Amino acid sequence: MDLKNFFTFINIQGINNIFFKIIMIFFALFYFFYTLVISKQVQIMDKTLQDKYNWVILLITSLQVTVSLILLILAIFLI
Amino acid sequence: MENNNKKSSVFYSYNLNPQINFDTHEEGEKIILLLRSHPFTQIGWILNSIFFFILLFVLNLFLQSLLNLGQILIINLFFIVFILSYIWFNILSWYFNAGIVTNKRVIDIDLHAVIYKEITDAQLSKIEDITVKSGGYLQSLFDYGSIFIQTAGAAVNIEFNNVPRPTDAAQVINKLLSKKHGS
Repeated sequence: MDLKNFFTFINIQGINNIFFKIIMIFFALFYFFYTLVISKQVQIMDKTLQDKYNWVILLITSLQVTVSLILLILAIFLI
Repeated sequence: MENNNKKSSVFYSYNLNPQINFDTHEEGEKIILLLRSHPFTQIGWILNSIFFFILLFVLNLFLQSLLNLGQILIINLFFIVFILSYIWFNILSWYFNAGIVTNKRVIDIDLHAVIYKEITDAQLSKIEDITVKSGGYLQSLFDYGSIFIQTAGAAVNIEFNNVPRPTDAAQVINKLLSKKHGS
């Protein structure tokens, strides 16, 4: 994208919308990495302290990672 | 007094003979007690979560004049997900911060901020002194407090913070110590 196309893109989208999109992508990325770290840590803790209900903890943590991925896709493509 | 009839459950903070296991579990080692923080000590983050939901509601009143409908929906979605993550983060912190008493040793599992893990254990034969601390209106009312287990020599001391029925828990450990030293 050359400079002319870039400014045309900004005019179409509006500077507020682009600013909003950048912030949302930033938050979604940060949140996605955060959920990955939490997921890894929960897997480690699942081995450390094993309980018959741990599958619920693992399920909710996987759900959290999925939601964070959906938020990231939403922030990049749909906003 | 110690109530041995109390059932064990995942949401209990004081579990006698729990059906759990841990990675350094040795053969013939029997888990006697599992301790977690008293539910009352979790009230802080529960109130914070309620406050965040109220804040979101108030924020929506102001956002209507600043942003379009799509942007408001996205902000709400992000905010709700973050609040739910905050709740989940605190549940995990509570769940994985546990104290375990077995017939051979005492283990303290600490998970700080769900990222830093610290596991300390002390053999029953190394335990020298057990101190129970419970003070203040709330701790007396809800019967919770801290147990400090002092070990011999350079071994690390163990601390169970804000556990329910600390006197009963200390009694369980003392009984095990008596058996150990008696045998």
